[in-house]
Amino acid sequence: MKKILIKGTDLCKSFKQGEKNVMVLNKICVDIYEGDFTVIMGASGAGKSTLLYALSGMDGITGGKVEFGGEAINGYNEKKMAELRAKEFGFVFQQTHLVSNLTLFENVAVAGYVGKRHNAKKVQEKAEQLLVQMHADGAKDRMPSQVSGGEAQRAAIARAMINNPKIVFADEPTGALNKANSEEVLNLLTELNRNGQSIVMVTHDIRAAIHGNRLLYLEDGNILAELSLSAYEEKNAKGREAKVNNWLTDLQW
Amino acid sequence: MEYKTLLKENLKQHKGSSVGIFILTLLVTAVLGIVLNLWSNSQVYIEREIRRDGFGDITAWVSNVPDTGSLTDSIKELTEVDRIETQSLIFSNYVANNKESDSEGQLITFVPGESRYKFFTNDLSAYSQDITQIEPGEIYVSPSMVSMFNVQVGDKITFPIARAGKDVVFTVKGFYEDPFMGSSMIGMKGFLICEEDRTDILDMLQNAGIDALARDGVMLHIFASDNCQMTFSELNGIINQNTSLPEYTEFVHSRDAITGFMLILQNAFSGLFLAFVIVLLFVVMVVISHSISSTIEADTVNMGILKTIGFTSAKLQKIQLFQYLLSIIIGMLSGFLLAVPLSRGISSATITSIGVKIPTKSPLLMCVISFAGILFLLAVFIIIRTGKIRKLTPIKAISGENDIVTLNSTKMLSAFGTALNIRLSLRQLATGKRRYIGAMIVAILLVFFASLVGRMDSWLGSDGKGMMDAFNPADHDIGVQVFGNLTAEEAEKKVLSYTDITDSYMLAMPGVVVNGIDYTANVISEPERFHILEGRTCEGDNEVVLTEFVAANFGISIGDVVTVRGDKGSDEYIVSGIYSCANDMGDNVGMSCEGYLKIGSDNPHIWCYHYFLSDSSVKSVITEALETAYGGDVHVHENTWPGLFGIISAMRALLVFMYIMVFLFILIVTIMTGSKILSAEQKDLGIYKAIGFQTNSLRMTFALRFGIVAVIGSIIGIILAAIFTDPLVSTVMKLAGISNFSSNPSIGGMLFPAVTVIILFTCVAYFAAGKIKKVDLTILIAD
Repeated sequence: MKKILIKGTDLCKSFKQGEKNVMVLNKICVDIYEGDFTVIMGASGAGKSTLLYALSGMDGITGGKVEFGGEAINGYNEKKMAELRAKEFGFVFQQTHLVSNLTLFENVAVAGYVGKRHNAKKVQEKAEQLLVQMHADGAKDRMPSQVSGGEAQRAAIARAMINNPKIVFADEPTGALNKANSEEVLNLLTELNRNGQSIVMVTHDIRAAIHGNRLLYLEDGNILAELSLSAYEEKNAKGREAKVNNWLTDLQW
Repeated sequence: MEYKTLLKENLKQHKGSSVGIFILTLLVTAVLGIVLNLWSNSQVYIEREIRRDGFGDITAWVSNVPDTGSLTDSIKELTEVDRIETQSLIFSNYVANNKESDSEGQLITFVPGESRYKFFTNDLSAYSQDITQIEPGEIYVSPSMVSMFNVQVGDKITFPIARAGKDVVFTVKGFYEDPFMGSSMIGMKGFLICEEDRTDILDMLQNAGIDALARDGVMLHIFASDNCQMTFSELNGIINQNTSLPEYTEFVHSRDAITGFMLILQNAFSGLFLAFVIVLLFVVMVVISHSISSTIEADTVNMGILKTIGFTSAKLQKIQLFQYLLSIIIGMLSGFLLAVPLSRGISSATITSIGVKIPTKSPLLMCVISFAGILFLLAVFIIIRTGKIRKLTPIKAISGENDIVTLNSTKMLSAFGTALNIRLSLRQLATGKRRYIGAMIVAILLVFFASLVGRMDSWLGSDGKGMMDAFNPADHDIGVQVFGNLTAEEAEKKVLSYTDITDSYMLAMPGVVVNGIDYTANVISEPERFHILEGRTCEGDNEVVLTEFVAANFGISIGDVVTVRGDKGSDEYIVSGIYSCANDMGDNVGMSCEGYLKIGSDNPHIWCYHYFLSDSSVKSVITEALETAYGGDVHVHENTWPGLFGIISAMRALLVFMYIMVFLFILIVTIMTGSKILSAEQKDLGIYKAIGFQTNSLRMTFALRFGIVAVIGSIIGIILAAIFTDPLVSTVMKLAGISNFSSNPSIGGMLFPAVTVIILFTCVAYFAAGKIKKVDLTILIAD
């Protein structure tokens, strides 16, 4: 029996568009399990990023409840939410979103300081080690504007990992990368998951999605279907891709 | 049409900047409008009123003249003189609200029905047309008596006419405008009384004989003939050489000199405000510059797109120019309009200091020229600053090449270790220095100016000691002059009963004629006490010291010889040095007792004994005790003068006004700069929040950036003030006869403006950073 890490109950998210009330999440109930590499898929505007940010507390919800460790987090004040982001959650964004005036190394380490899990020296050691692990150590003293998209994204993953988060949320992490860089980033995420890191990733790319072991398909603010896969291995990639493709075809993707 | 569309959109998008620049321009032009209004009107008004009141090119105050008619006839006979008008008066000391005057008052006889003087309503809000005559026992005084002696209508003023308690007490009936000696900067004061009272006082004087304290006198208004091209000094010299005037002269002043006395306060403060306006104008330029840079930075992509659809750089530049000029012009017009009621308010509020009601008719031409000059300057500045639009190529703009952030020396400002907030602030400053240069220049300018005024204030001192030291030929705590049978020894004993006297010297201030011109001589028993600027003090009985102004007037220097005439005779003296004494705007000379007594007669009553007290805090107690014990037989003065309070009050008002402006400017500059920075950093702020930073921590970091910038700016401002205050202020002070300005502020005094500016920048930045709370993390969401 897998342990539930995040539990979303009747999640609603709507916004006004002129006179109209647009429902982006429509009473979604979803559990995120420890150790899973959960992938959220769907067409553009299906609400996949909105669901990711709702589950991670990055964005508010208009109805329902999000629980982490058995505690509702959607009512947290700013201080508690900030602490949760600093210590328990890690984020990887499509546009890398590194702080523009910090080097890659500093971007990683600053998150470590805020997390306060380790002392300054240890944070620096860990930042070095993560950047080596993410193959971004060669660019560590450069500013985000001076490195390639792949290097920046790998540093972003290192930043997400610096505080040993319970879960990493990744929003289209390969969306802005070329094929080679995408592959490298996905392999890093897979490697992390293999080592026990829980990941929730939003993507519309089948080649990215096949790295997950649990795929959720969203349409019009509802989870339409779910697909379970075995742990990713490179040798199975083609077979997994075909399976996911068929699944999506059935869902009229 | 395209201009209109884009201009409208730009104004909507950058309304914060537009409002900020509008407010800053409004403040600058309002202050400038007030300065121009009051400065120009006071010059014109005082000159006009002095002429209307019948004051001559030269006015000589004479006393105890046996035959005024023959004296005036002898003067009139000179070809250089056109005519003479006289006004009878009585010289007398006075006591108002238990405060003894330092200078004698002049009881001037008011001729019923004469239109020479203008009277005020009792609340000083307007002129009164109702007063055509003055009743016995009534007196009209200058409004400056309010600031000098807190005199109100109904108060009593006592004039000791003769010893043995023969005083005359008048009741203040109202106020009149005295453009000749009404300013609180002028010690001598005129009082209007009726003919009956004058006759009574003259009778008292006649009966008192040698016990008389007051003196009968006349003001001689001497008008030069039309073809006389002489300067005041030359004309004064001719009259002194050819008539018996010097025998009776108390003092002589030219119309220009008295106008200078009357305008000294307005001119000094107009000068300071004008300097402040220039500083503020620089601040406005800095803000505009920053706003232009930020706007171009934020709108780079849009500008690139507009270029791709055919907009030229010149068109885009014009839109920016119109956008800023619109705010500036509206701000200027509003500032100009605001200056009118404010000028009226200031004119009313300063009546009790300057003694006259300055009209507030806007000097339109001067304002238009000044404002057009400022507008032209700002327009050229905007054109230069928007020049970078020309360098933008469409592709460069759209690809966002300008956003690249680089840092050469990461080690120096590493964001690691302790004090994360400070280190992050330093990094943000190092990578975005362009954005903060504006705030730093503003801090430099504001701290510089605040320090400059602060240094002047500390020189002045809380009790005006700095100013008094500049006016006095030598320092002292208390001065005692005895009359009648009272001896100096007796008075000294009284002083000693309160505190020890650590040192003393004697000083007399008789009138002398130097190279034919009337001056006051500071005759001192210890010439080494003079504040010598150059050369040495007068040591023998054949030496004098001159002020810089007298030396310049004669075109002589140390080693030259001058002829000095006193009431006993005349002799030649060698100029041994240049000394500092701003009395009579520097028109005085310094002599030793031995030197003076060769040409002037000795009299125990001319000497004032100046004491240094062991405990100077008992000065007021001693003054009161001496006056109570000896009444009219003693004249005591501390190292102060009533007009000083006007200056101190004006200086305090300037400080308060300046700090209000400093606060407003910092508020606007920080909010404007901060908003631009915050909107440029939205994404970074979102990222910080996403990795666990709290809003408060980010606000602190933001505020710290401005705090650090303000610290750097303040240090530079303090250094600049330390270097430039003395030479700059000395130049201005010389206009008032003060040649030894030297500011030596305390550490606290030096740090106060800097600390204020730093705290204001930091607090306002923290306040402005409240917007960080609203930064939504959805800004990071891709779709």
